[in-house]
Amino acid sequence: MTQAAPLEFVPPEEAARANLYALLARLFYAAPDAGLLRALADQTMEGELAEPWKDLAHAAGKADPETVREEYETAFIGTGKAPVTLYTTAYAIKYSNEAPLAKLRGELDRLGLARRAEVREPEDHFAALCDVMRHLVAKQKSDLGEQQRFFSRWIYPIAGPLCAAISRSDKTVFYKHVARFAERFCTLEHMAFEML
Amino acid sequence: MSERTTRLSRRNFLLTVGVGGAATAAAVVATKKSSQAPSGQGKRATRGYQASEHVNNYYRTAKV
Repeated sequence: MTQAAPLEFVPPEEAARANLYALLARLFYAAPDAGLLRALADQTMEGELAEPWKDLAHAAGKADPETVREEYETAFIGTGKAPVTLYTTAYAIKYSNEAPLAKLRGELDRLGLARRAEVREPEDHFAALCDVMRHLVAKQKSDLGEQQRFFSRWIYPIAGPLCAAISRSDKTVFYKHVARFAERFCTLEHMAFEML
Repeated sequence: MSERTTRLSRRNFLLTVGVGGAATAAAVVATKKSSQAPSGQGKRATRGYQASEHVNNYYRTAKV
């Protein structure tokens, strides 16, 4: 007789954090397809996230997948230099002798994480950082202090400038709502970590 | 403040601001995400350099 694996309890707020990071990783990795837009439009939230979510859900309900794909490619990929870059070290470098990407790789190495061989995007893509947080919360179930260190060093300082750049850009429509939601979530995460 | 009290406060905060309540909504969407995650191949096919007929014509006419 095989023994059932013990049920693992994940508190709802931690499950929600992991899923929200997963959602942000998906939305920033590539434009949402029709199915994801429908799923976004059908869901509701309460509390501090309710308002930006409502706007995002409303925008998703009206959005045409092809138009959103065009928007993603025009705003975040572009021809030549992207109008808005999702590579976060661009927002972090203040001096030319800084090498934040190398430091990030060292940090990921310390956490036992690495870029898959077939992935070409550098590790500082915002989607990848959100995915690291999802992994720390849901898979590694890392200590909150560890999560706080990664979030405070690599995500929180650039979430504001990145979301502001997306909101300012004349190339974005749907992604302005994504940025607003992402920024509010990151602010709540920061406030929650401050309580540790 | 003890570590347990701090974590309870943090948990209460997250539940109060609605992050805990977001579990269902986010889970539904995140599940959608995992079943429909874009493949790297599909994404690559939509961008990057392609030697289209137009590009080849340009190179042909640009020869000195």
